[in-house]
Amino acid sequence: MATSPVDPLLKQLTGPNTRSLLRVIILLTIAAAAVSSRLFSVIRFESIIHEFDPWFNFRATKYLVQNGFYSFWDWFDDRTWHPLGRVTGGTLYPGLMVTSGIIYHVLRFLTFPVDIRNICVLLAPGFSGLTAFATYLLTNEMVTSPSAGLLAAAFMGITPGYISRSVAGSYDNEAIAIFLLVFTFFLWIKAVKLGSVFWGALTALFYGYMVSAWGGYVFITNLLPLHAFVLICMGRYSPRLYVSYTSWYALGTLASMQIPFVGFLPIRSSEHMSALGVFGLLQIVGFVEFVRNQLPSRQFQTLLRALVLVIFAVSFGGLVLLTVSGVIAPWTGRFYSLWDTGYAKIHIPIIASVSEHQPTAWPAFFFDLSMMIWLFPAGVYMCFRKLTDEQVFIVIYAVLASYFAGVMVRLMLTLTPIVCVASAIAFSQILDTYMSIDSPTPEVQANGTPASASVAAASAMLPDGLRSTRNPIVGIYSYTSKLTVVAASTVYLMLFVMHCTWVTSNAYSSPSVVLASRLPDGSQHIIDDYREAYYWLRQNTPENAKIMSWWDYGYQIGGMADRPTLVDNNTWNNTHIATVGKAMSSREEVSYPIMRQHEVDYVLVVFGGLLGYSGDDINKFLWMVRIAEGIWPDEVKERNFFTARGEYRVDDEATPTMKNSLMYKMSYYNYNALFPAGQAQDRVRNTRLPAEGPQLTTIEEAFTSENWIIRIYKVKDLDNFGRDHGSAVAFDKGNKKKRAHKRKGARTLRVE
Amino acid sequence: MRWLLLLTASLLPFTAIAAKKAPKDRYQDFRTKSLSSTPLKLDDASYTKLTQAPRDYAVVVLLTALETRFGCVLCREFQPEWELLAKSWTNGDKKGESRVFFGTLDFAEGRNTFQSLQLQTAPVILMFNPTTGANAKVDAQPSRFDFTAGPQSAESIHAWVSRHLPEGPKPAVSRPINYFKIVSVTTAILGLITLVTVTAPYIVPLLQNRNLWAAFSLIAVLLFTSGHMFNHIRKVPYVSGDGKGGISYFAGGFSNQFGMETQIIAAIYGVLSFATISLALKVPRISDPKAQSLAVFLWSGVIFGMYSFLMSVFRMKNGGYPFFLPPF
Repeated sequence: MATSPVDPLLKQLTGPNTRSLLRVIILLTIAAAAVSSRLFSVIRFESIIHEFDPWFNFRATKYLVQNGFYSFWDWFDDRTWHPLGRVTGGTLYPGLMVTSGIIYHVLRFLTFPVDIRNICVLLAPGFSGLTAFATYLLTNEMVTSPSAGLLAAAFMGITPGYISRSVAGSYDNEAIAIFLLVFTFFLWIKAVKLGSVFWGALTALFYGYMVSAWGGYVFITNLLPLHAFVLICMGRYSPRLYVSYTSWYALGTLASMQIPFVGFLPIRSSEHMSALGVFGLLQIVGFVEFVRNQLPSRQFQTLLRALVLVIFAVSFGGLVLLTVSGVIAPWTGRFYSLWDTGYAKIHIPIIASVSEHQPTAWPAFFFDLSMMIWLFPAGVYMCFRKLTDEQVFIVIYAVLASYFAGVMVRLMLTLTPIVCVASAIAFSQILDTYMSIDSPTPEVQANGTPASASVAAASAMLPDGLRSTRNPIVGIYSYTSKLTVVAASTVYLMLFVMHCTWVTSNAYSSPSVVLASRLPDGSQHIIDDYREAYYWLRQNTPENAKIMSWWDYGYQIGGMADRPTLVDNNTWNNTHIATVGKAMSSREEVSYPIMRQHEVDYVLVVFGGLLGYSGDDINKFLWMVRIAEGIWPDEVKERNFFTARGEYRVDDEATPTMKNSLMYKMSYYNYNALFPAGQAQDRVRNTRLPAEGPQLTTIEEAFTSENWIIRIYKVKDLDNFGRDHGSAVAFDKGNKKKRAHKRKGARTLRVE
Repeated sequence: MRWLLLLTASLLPFTAIAAKKAPKDRYQDFRTKSLSSTPLKLDDASYTKLTQAPRDYAVVVLLTALETRFGCVLCREFQPEWELLAKSWTNGDKKGESRVFFGTLDFAEGRNTFQSLQLQTAPVILMFNPTTGANAKVDAQPSRFDFTAGPQSAESIHAWVSRHLPEGPKPAVSRPINYFKIVSVTTAILGLITLVTVTAPYIVPLLQNRNLWAAFSLIAVLLFTSGHMFNHIRKVPYVSGDGKGGISYFAGGFSNQFGMETQIIAAIYGVLSFATISLALKVPRISDPKAQSLAVFLWSGVIFGMYSFLMSVFRMKNGGYPFFLPPF
């Protein structure tokens, strides 16, 4: 942050030891800033796990710590996806849990009495310090300026684009995966530069760690081959590239296959085919280079070139054939939807329903990256000056990651490191130029020649350099100009720090399990309905009571209430989710048999109407309908939930299907009682509700939290007298039983 | 009540027989018509005749508005798919075992039908199941397909139709091979190869031009970071009116944008980046001190002003944003 602009001044210091000491201190300060800016939520609320997925990771970590590694590896979880269960050990990325398990045991060994929850809460901030360090290393490989690395580390430490997934309590795979991503890239660059098997193997090792930690490893799997491929196309094949790529691919693929969830995917799925293809191409190119060195005949070279093309075409055709015949699995839906952007919406509503899979509007970019968003292209441009092998990597990474971040909001995370590196390159270039004390004298103009000579040498393949760097460097003459630029830069940096702090504090530090609001007198009021309801479940229901809710809350119920659920955030079985969607969106008479079949004891819904909490189930309801419609198009129809004019309403004009759906009934049951007659108001959708509230027959209200955010209903058992629930409820109310059918005519004796 | 219903239901066939020909004859009539041209072109009269209550066949009718003055793009887009479906069904079921008719009722010919069905939108597909015979369904109401999910292919409608039909032959949609496309694609590829071979001496230096690649990468980066993919996926409008006769260039709301807006933002980013590049790379190479200080002040001013403007635009999008730079 503010420390790094000081760095060029330190060149006045003589001893390299002093300088490296300072560098260590600066890096430590950056790490401290990175950690402390992520602690807002711990200070404001408490040490608590956030959101949804982290609750599962937390539960899995507890299981690992209690039962040991091997039983974690073979873990079959019968408390989720009732009655199917989930082979948890084989369907998760274990890197995160194992990391915190190791930290826990090391600390225990050192006799620190820590709670596993605190390790989980603080893991992401801790690793963000390491990420800053890894960014420093990566940037240092790219440019010679020592300030760029420190600047990049500072950027990486506090940029909201990364903080969004790594605040304290956000115990998710990305917490460690971004560190691994950046560090693997650093090792790869090192390996390409040195051409050493050692660094290649290290790359493979950390790649394996990355595979064990996050599904986003596919990004590395495709970026490294692309880098190698572009280098080959630029005529920059070298034994260094061959050694580093081959050692990375061979060892890395073996390492990745050790994870049960990945298994044989690296040789069978299309996402990994580019890595395999470039591996094969490198062998051919290596062989051709070898032969070329032996036989300098011109015709022979042409022949070999043709051979390369033919082999490439044949293997590509073979790949297509294998894909068509089904030996190689086609693209997975998530990956495919990155290229064909309309795909998910049509074929996989469950992917399209997740808010982090939506495309990114431009304010989100500025929000997450602030001024770096315009420094970023400048940094990329500066990489074209010399365009060394590693700078080619920056360019490829930049273009590809910008595309992905534009298509999916969550992939902003993979864009952030390269933005930090590139903008640090640009910014440090300005600072280095304008902060040097010595000014040139106007007469002398010839000190730039060595630099341009080296440029010419580096760009043997690409003949001319950039237009903006043809003239030799002179330097800055007047102190006024230096002062102007430096002052402006300082203002921008300060503004950047303030922006990051503001965004972190306001947007990314809410645990979303606990909500905060302001009372009229300005004091903070904590809304703790989620935990209230989950603890009610934990203490008032039998241990094996099955809870049905929409999948968003599955992990939280499992983690906080410790009760079996029907579906959860691991959306592996679309049909099962659609079953729950159907139960929620159908009439009670349809839903009840479904719930009986799945042994549901309690149903949980989230309702924000009283408080104005917009993330509730009525707002998510259309996705339930859509997902259910995907499986039962005849029984659940999205059209029926819209009025004739195509509006989605909950008031008097709501469609009968909507009013009779279980979700609607459960949300608004007894809600009228809170208001004077006919005044019931929904504060999320800003509508007045029908005067008469819905009636429930097959389920009964069991619990409603303080602010009505969570409502829990108990599914009634079968009636003791064998009546259907409708008539049983009518009888209890004292309504006179209607005769089912009147007998007509005289009674006759039945003879069979 | 029950009695009354039963009574009317039992009387229905008689009234029908009294009024019109027997369903058998009607079936033969339409059968011969549909063999010559399918889907059947219907108007009010033939629609009523075809969908009349006692029928031992199924009818699938597309209610559409093809004329340009209605401006129904979806109708016109779907029409070829519909014809393809009807043709391949009729051709695949030569003997008429499935007993299904496909008909098209255009709004121009079927105004009264549209009114009596109270249709506000087009296209809509109605499917009438047989009311008599082996495959009769109890529910006399036609099933309805709305195009809420956007344009449909012949295959998806085929799936919908066959879901509503009982067991029986369901000829698959057979798309004719598009010879024209094959030939044109082959020609284009061959032409491209020839072009590349002939122009290789001119193209290769261009391909190796670093400035060109730099320009490409920068344009790509600017395009993507200014939210172009969002426009592409969500199909946002280019600009929109502000309700007072003027044009509003910036959409309200944090996760919303217009096409023009992203172009403005991309231009701002571009100017800022270019100014940064100039400050960092070009200015130190200016040998004249006067010109150099002028350039420094110029580019610093550009960055300052543009950044200030960018922040003011962002404040417009995100109401609670507290930071700003002086001019804007």
